[in-house]
Amino acid sequence: MSATDDGRGGGVPIRDARRILAAHGGSPAAPGGESLERQARPSSVPRLDGAPLLEGHQIEARDLMGAPVAAFGAFLDGIQRSVVIGYLDITIPVVHGTTAAAIRERDDRTLHTWSDGPIVERSLFLPAALAGTSTMSALAASGIPVHDTLPAADPVALRHPAELLGLARQAVQARREQAEERLAGAWCASARTPLYVDGGIGGFAAASRSPLAVGVVKSHHTLYVDADAVATVASLRPGQRTSAFVVATRRRTRVASWYLRLRDTGAPLGGLVRVEVAEAGFDSARADQISGWVLAEREPVALPDSRWDVMAYGIRDCEEYLRAVAG
Amino acid sequence: MGEILGRVVATERRPNTPHQFNFWTALDAQVGIGTIVRVDGKIPVAGRLPKVYGVVVEGLSYSDLETPLHDVLGADGEPGRADDAPTRRTEIRLYTAAVLRHIPDDPLQPVPLGAVYLASEADVQVALRMDAYLKPGASTGIPIGLYRAGATSSPIYLDADFLLGPEAAHLNITGVSGLATKTSAVEWLLSSIFAHFPAQKGSVAALCFNVKGPDLCFLDQPATRLDASDLELYAKLGVPAEPFKHVEYFAPYTARGYALNTLRSNESLSHNVRPLTWGLREVLQYAEVLLNKDDVDAKADALIDFIRERVVDQDFHDDRLATSHRVQSFTDLERWFRDVLRAMEEKNQEVWRTHHVATIRKVRNRLTNISTRCRGLVTDDGTVSDLPWGVFQDRGVYVVDVANLEEDAQDLIFARVVTQLRERLEKRTLGVDHVVVFVDELNKYAPADGPDTYVRKMLLDVAERGRYLGLVLFAAQQFRSQVHRRVVGNSGTALFGRMDSDELATPGYATLPPTTRTKLSTLDKGELMVRHPHFTQPVFVRFPRPAVLSGREGVERYPQADEPTLEGAVVRALRPLDRSITLDWVKETIALADEDEVLRARNRTLQVRPDDVQAYFRSQLKRRVATESVGARTRPAIRTSPGDDPYAF
Ligand SMILES: Nc1ncnc2c1ncn2[C@@H]1O[C@H](COP(=O)(O)OP(=O)(O)OP(=O)(O)O)[C@@H](O)[C@H]1O
Ligand SMILES: [Mg+2]
Repeated sequence: MSATDDGRGGGVPIRDARRILAAHGGSPAAPGGESLERQARPSSVPRLDGAPLLEGHQIEARDLMGAPVAAFGAFLDGIQRSVVIGYLDITIPVVHGTTAAAIRERDDRTLHTWSDGPIVERSLFLPAALAGTSTMSALAASGIPVHDTLPAADPVALRHPAELLGLARQAVQARREQAEERLAGAWCASARTPLYVDGGIGGFAAASRSPLAVGVVKSHHTLYVDADAVATVASLRPGQRTSAFVVATRRRTRVASWYLRLRDTGAPLGGLVRVEVAEAGFDSARADQISGWVLAEREPVALPDSRWDVMAYGIRDCEEYLRAVAG
Repeated sequence: MGEILGRVVATERRPNTPHQFNFWTALDAQVGIGTIVRVDGKIPVAGRLPKVYGVVVEGLSYSDLETPLHDVLGADGEPGRADDAPTRRTEIRLYTAAVLRHIPDDPLQPVPLGAVYLASEADVQVALRMDAYLKPGASTGIPIGLYRAGATSSPIYLDADFLLGPEAAHLNITGVSGLATKTSAVEWLLSSIFAHFPAQKGSVAALCFNVKGPDLCFLDQPATRLDASDLELYAKLGVPAEPFKHVEYFAPYTARGYALNTLRSNESLSHNVRPLTWGLREVLQYAEVLLNKDDVDAKADALIDFIRERVVDQDFHDDRLATSHRVQSFTDLERWFRDVLRAMEEKNQEVWRTHHVATIRKVRNRLTNISTRCRGLVTDDGTVSDLPWGVFQDRGVYVVDVANLEEDAQDLIFARVVTQLRERLEKRTLGVDHVVVFVDELNKYAPADGPDTYVRKMLLDVAERGRYLGLVLFAAQQFRSQVHRRVVGNSGTALFGRMDSDELATPGYATLPPTTRTKLSTLDKGELMVRHPHFTQPVFVRFPRPAVLSGREGVERYPQADEPTLEGAVVRALRPLDRSITLDWVKETIALADEDEVLRARNRTLQVRPDDVQAYFRSQLKRRVATESVGARTRPAIRTSPGDDPYAF
């Protein structure tokens, strides 16, 4: 885990990065620009993607056995923020990316940062092949961490500035996911209580196979059911879950997954989360038990967060904490 | 250095200033309103790391909720459910502190960000600027109480130069009845002064007016109840937990004249109780105290001056009068008046020596009235038994019991005693260099509204000029707002016990932060808020129960003697002078004398303190002068005590 000085994390702050860029012939962008995360992403169409079932022959609403029990010992989340700080040769964007991830452990109903603190990184992201080796090595020599945004196999010809920005954002995201993965892996290797992970766990290597990691997905751009099961998902009552299915995508570990309604908001997907756990060791009783754990985290409500209907308080706490230490 | 208690925070919306800063702490931090803290800055200013001392004046706590409604929604409207949630909401404790002192103090800057520590004992001394007057060997510190917070317990000292002059002086204490421990605090502070008043400043005595029941009647008797915590305070503050060693009591007689008008009448305590009686000369000097209320004009004044200067204590001849006069008592004066008026009547004159007959009648009425209204204090026969003027003792306490007296008599006593103190301190003929005058229920004697009485003028004068003379006023009252502004305003030191919230709502307290006001309205017995010229902010301290027997317990332990018979009164008065005097001897001796004569003989004997008490007393009876008694005396009713006074009798 990265050392953190004064809780503020490593790397180079934006202000210094601008100065360094200017010193290396870049033309700085006006400060205060919006982060790439806030700008509209190129939209893909929401879709249905029916998945093989682990329980029964069709997606059904299932009542849970027993009352919700608080069992999570910790919460994992990460944040990121990417800002264009300038351009090289007028067209090559240089992005400053801040990523941070932390596990907040729960002890006597109070959350505190696990282990030796959060992982905070501040670095530059730019297409190395386009920037040229001399610029890259000069930047590296000035002590600033630099990451290449171009996938290794891709040709050097990619030039649309917006596409370069998209790649930069993805590279920043990859850094964040790596940090999250390191933390998740460390927890699963050393802790004994389950870890509540914000988002899926399929992207993790070790943690996605651990019985301790529970991923909770809040957005449903893809619904993993067939068209005739959408109504079943949309009409789940609070406390009900669907039959479990397998989520398997390229470059992700196969995981067991199901939908769970936390609360009723009136909207078809309001208060709905998708739970991901390791496929190994899955059975219905375990799905019920883990659903109960997730339901137990409905309180305290994560208001005033706008996604309070699906967000656990522990995850909100994680985000607030990361915003405080990584800005 | 200690553990870090908190951290200074400043935002654009809630910035720090040179006189105020904010800091947050852990939820279980030992900090509260009144806690003294130290901030260690991190960036040197002129080569020095700044340190800032402050006292907490406000505390806030809040959670990450935006509106209370969210909490209600989250718990489905069931308050009990909020506790079931597996995680506690994030909560903050945010405190505001008022700056006590910056080091260095120049240039004066906003409080820097930095770690906050609980002030140690040494820090408290610096924060309150006590380091300036606690220098070893030259200390002028007088302990007022102990400041406590967390592991720190630090004695708080007042500066004698600012409590008893000459830099500043006087003390005022306010608070509700029974809970504010006003009288107790003054008793404690007197003990502390006696233990710590620096030798280089000379001698000090206290003169206390007992204005309420048995309040100050047992200052020489040990307290029945001092807890371990009290004794610890005495030890920590370096004051012996003992009653006052040298106490003298003074009280006028009751209207009937047999016994002294005090609740300290138990015979086993009579050795240091003396009568307080004045004659014509003493009273005439202060006639205006009582006369100004009756609208005495310039003409009457002129006549009183004439009597004072030309009649009293000298042979007075006037061809128109029947005899020559030597006026030494009210009785003599009355005879003189009658002679004058008779002479005028006979010659049908309206004016005698420029004084109109109406004026003469009026002044005669007023003056003879005094001896009636102040029965017990003013003797017809001129016997004087007074405070030990000239031989006041260092660390002596002189209690004048005026609790059961008519207002006029109280006023007269105040006026004369304080004026004597003033004059004698000025001439340095009192016997001590400093006197603390303790006046309880100050709102009665120096009220904010109401007529400008002599007593109020005199208290104002003491408040404004006393510090140069070593004449120091310690005053207590329930409602500071009801006391004349300049009297409280001139009090260098102010103490506040538990306060009434209506009183706190008056404009005088507007400068206190709201939380400090709240704290004042919930103070425990034995807790005080202290304002002192050296302290830039008020401090809260705890003081021990006084080491003297309380009035309430005193009257139980030393029940009052019954109202004596005439014989009993004489025995009681003369026994301390001659132990062999018996009731039978007195009965036999006074068998043929009338009451006035017996009392006069007793008073004279007490005044003269002859070697042969019995012979002297007898001689006074035999010396039967053919005096007419002053008309038919109407005895004023004994002053009735208010209904809620449990010591009324
Ligand atoms: N240091 C102390 N700690 C605890 N209790 C105390 C302390 N000092 C005095 N007391 C108690 O507080 C009570 C009230 O004290 P005191 O008579 O001094 O109050 P007061 O303010 O003068 O009241 P009042 O206005 O009626 O004269 C007494 O019963 C006394 O025993
Ligand atoms: Mg009192």
